[in-house]
Amino acid sequence: MAKLEQLVLTAVLSLKEDAYGVTIHEKVAELARPKSVSLGAVYVTLDRLEDKGLVSSWLSEPTAERGGRAKRCYRMEALGERALQESTATAQRIFDALVEALGKEGARQWGKRWGKEAG
Amino acid sequence: MKAAPSKTAEMLLGILLPPACREQVLGDLHERYTGPRQYLVDVLSAVPCVIVSRIRRTTDPQVLLMEAFALYLSFVGVAQQSGQSSILYEPWGLLRLAIPAAVALLALVLADAYSDPAKRSRIKPMLQTAFCMGLAFLSQATFWATDPAFAVPLRIMFYGAGISLVVVSALRIFFPKDDNRPRGAT
Repeated sequence: MAKLEQLVLTAVLSLKEDAYGVTIHEKVAELARPKSVSLGAVYVTLDRLEDKGLVSSWLSEPTAERGGRAKRCYRMEALGERALQESTATAQRIFDALVEALGKEGARQWGKRWGKEAG
Repeated sequence: MKAAPSKTAEMLLGILLPPACREQVLGDLHERYTGPRQYLVDVLSAVPCVIVSRIRRTTDPQVLLMEAFALYLSFVGVAQQSGQSSILYEPWGLLRLAIPAAVALLALVLADAYSDPAKRSRIKPMLQTAFCMGLAFLSQATFWATDPAFAVPLRIMFYGAGISLVVVSALRIFFPKDDNRPRGAT
């Protein structure tokens, strides 16, 4: 699963009932910091995740703050939860391997340094 | 009072966006609106992605390939059988025959992306194909008016379009598009 897909799935999971385009983008932008993520990239990823059956969507009631337009709300499916669990487990194994190679503090420093360079 | 994008901008954007995602994208952009500059940046970053994503979702590569073959072979076949086979041996003859096929194929892809999933009809595949063949004729009319060297002879165009209409419509009836996505949407 691609990194952006993991971020979007995490956002959908953490936002629960309030997961729709704007809030998902805000959450993904927060998780991906310092990198920026465009709204378009989030839409494309949501479409892809829906095609894979990892999330499902429905249209809510229109609201005035959106100019009388509906939201497309997203919900995590069981398949999505499993995919996210697998990704998290892989990330944990990578971190454990780094801890084994560099020590706990060394792995943390390495992660921070990489984060700064990537940003 | 909360700032809002202009009605004209939203109307133009509504035309540009595929109907299947128009509602939520216009709503999201409206909700995020803080000023014209930010709105423009949002539109430029979101709308092309939404259109490409919709095209990806509504295009079945296998059916598209079959349609491409059907369209091209219709024009080549008619050229071969209509007594105007000399076009096949001209330096750019095969390419000239590919132009109406390519225009029709592109129009079919866009017609799928911009078709409203809520509006379903048995004759939709035929109407879409007829509309796309009309656009192929229009592209040829442009060539006839500007540079006839690139235009396909009218007889080939007419019969080729007719055969394409039948074959492509049949393909679309036998291999219907899954245009009811997003799945699970209510």
